[in-house]
Amino acid sequence: MSARGWWPALRRWLDDRLGLEAVLGFLRNKPVPRSGHTIWMYTGSAILIFFAVQVVTGVVLAFYYRPTLEEANASVARIMTDVPLGWVVRSIHSWSATFMIVFVFIHLVSIWILKSYRKPRELTWMTGVLLLFCALFFGFTGYLLPWDDLSLSATKVGTDIPRALPVIGDFFTKLLRGGEDVSGETLSRFFTIHVSILPLALLAVLALHVFLIQKLGMSLPLEAEVNKKRLPHFPFWPNFVFREAVLWLVLFGVLLTAAFFLPPGLGRAADLRAPAPEGIKPEWYFLFLFQTLKIFPAKVWFLKGETLAVLCILAGVLFFFFVPLIDNKPASRKGKILTVVAWLFVVYALAMSAWSLAGPKPAAGAEEGLSAGPRSAGERTGMYVFLAWTWTMIVFLAFVLRGKVREVDKLHAAGFFGAGDDPHRK
Amino acid sequence: MKLKTTLFTRRKFLNGLLAGGLGSFLASLLFPLLRSVIPPYKEPDEVRLPGADFEGLAEGEVRGFAWDIKPGFLRKDAGGGWTAFVGVCTHLDCNVSFLAAEKKYFCACHDGWYDAEGRNIAGPPPAPLRRLSVSVEGAEIVVRKEPPS
Repeated sequence: MSARGWWPALRRWLDDRLGLEAVLGFLRNKPVPRSGHTIWMYTGSAILIFFAVQVVTGVVLAFYYRPTLEEANASVARIMTDVPLGWVVRSIHSWSATFMIVFVFIHLVSIWILKSYRKPRELTWMTGVLLLFCALFFGFTGYLLPWDDLSLSATKVGTDIPRALPVIGDFFTKLLRGGEDVSGETLSRFFTIHVSILPLALLAVLALHVFLIQKLGMSLPLEAEVNKKRLPHFPFWPNFVFREAVLWLVLFGVLLTAAFFLPPGLGRAADLRAPAPEGIKPEWYFLFLFQTLKIFPAKVWFLKGETLAVLCILAGVLFFFFVPLIDNKPASRKGKILTVVAWLFVVYALAMSAWSLAGPKPAAGAEEGLSAGPRSAGERTGMYVFLAWTWTMIVFLAFVLRGKVREVDKLHAAGFFGAGDDPHRK
Repeated sequence: MKLKTTLFTRRKFLNGLLAGGLGSFLASLLFPLLRSVIPPYKEPDEVRLPGADFEGLAEGEVRGFAWDIKPGFLRKDAGGGWTAFVGVCTHLDCNVSFLAAEKKYFCACHDGWYDAEGRNIAGPPPAPLRRLSVSVEGAEIVVRKEPPS
């Protein structure tokens, strides 16, 4: 078969069996509304990019990591010192987690404020909240794995929190810890959750989330929804995806740069019987919860302070999950109160985190552990060359994509794609 | 008396029976799973410490020991007796440290404080530190679980 012939042939062969054309046709006809809100629609795929990076780097780390009391800390140290470029892989994994959570929060707050969760997109929101829990649980379990002082104390606190709940709490704490106390059982359990249970759970919910987004289409700004106004729009493929690709490239470059220059260190191996170190902190995205637990006094009225704190947090979580059912107003209502609640939440989380960061710092010298970084002049030079090459390619590809975006926008304007002249298939 | 109409057909009854039976069967499958996910753990009834390790402690001085996988604190009392605490904060389970200068126990996680008698005096801890009973048997100091009061 000629070089020209085999690709269309293969494609036809696959299409006969998989129905790929239907999917591509769907994407070509999926309209993305163009308005002041379109920018928020880029946040979802940014999360996906970081998740993909997590999967790839996580697999590499799992090749070397050993989830036992004796070896956990040492195996992470080995990744940072012995494994070729292991410190880079670990750093990317850590930074990508941070970026992913940042975009999850932006995605979520923007959807809340724009009220995109309203009918018929309630389930999209709820699956999104489940994905948020998965992401936070990923962070929580991953934080323990290096098994140093800070991570042990944070895990002791985190796994003790369910216990404050009446009746079922004790079982959940034991289930998480693999017994009464945090021990080696907890470590192997967290590893299993981190590398097996959560990825499966996340992928399942993600599939549903993405399916719902495709099925229900993109939400419109409230004014347009009410007036049935026709907004300008462009097709998802290729106009929107080409734009997204520029963002992906830039984010990937920022991720690599951060990972190269600011690799995470490793504390001393945790000792189950050592006192909690001064200035312990969880990951930054748990700081506001951590500080909330701190400010509740020992006893409030007849309840234990921690029980009350946990019940408050649980009430907040339930409210969050059921927002679409609580705010089930017709699209014409702006829902100002809920917008205010969202902003209050943002302010509260930022203020509490800042307060927590202003608190006691780890005593000087307490962090005497392992710091990461290039291990030789050669490696350092290689790092700069690699970064320069990456950024050159990013700039070049972004330039090419800019041209492509202009081209496909013109084609769309000329009606070449024939994409959804009806911007909203109801 | 025979009803003219029935609210509950035979079919509904049988379907209910079948669904209920299937449901309870599936639920019973969960039992061994839930049983197996929590490994057994028994706290030791006692820990025997060589007395030599704690010789020469001044009155009121505190030294740590291992209460299985948890930290313990052993204090020499004024009368020559001993007092022992489990060094785990009653708030959210962090290990506490003893600050000798202030004669207080301190939890760094959420800023919890206990006095020398293990009473919770400041911060979020809801209860005093757990006490253990101590007796001297020959050359050994034996720390036991305090019988529940």
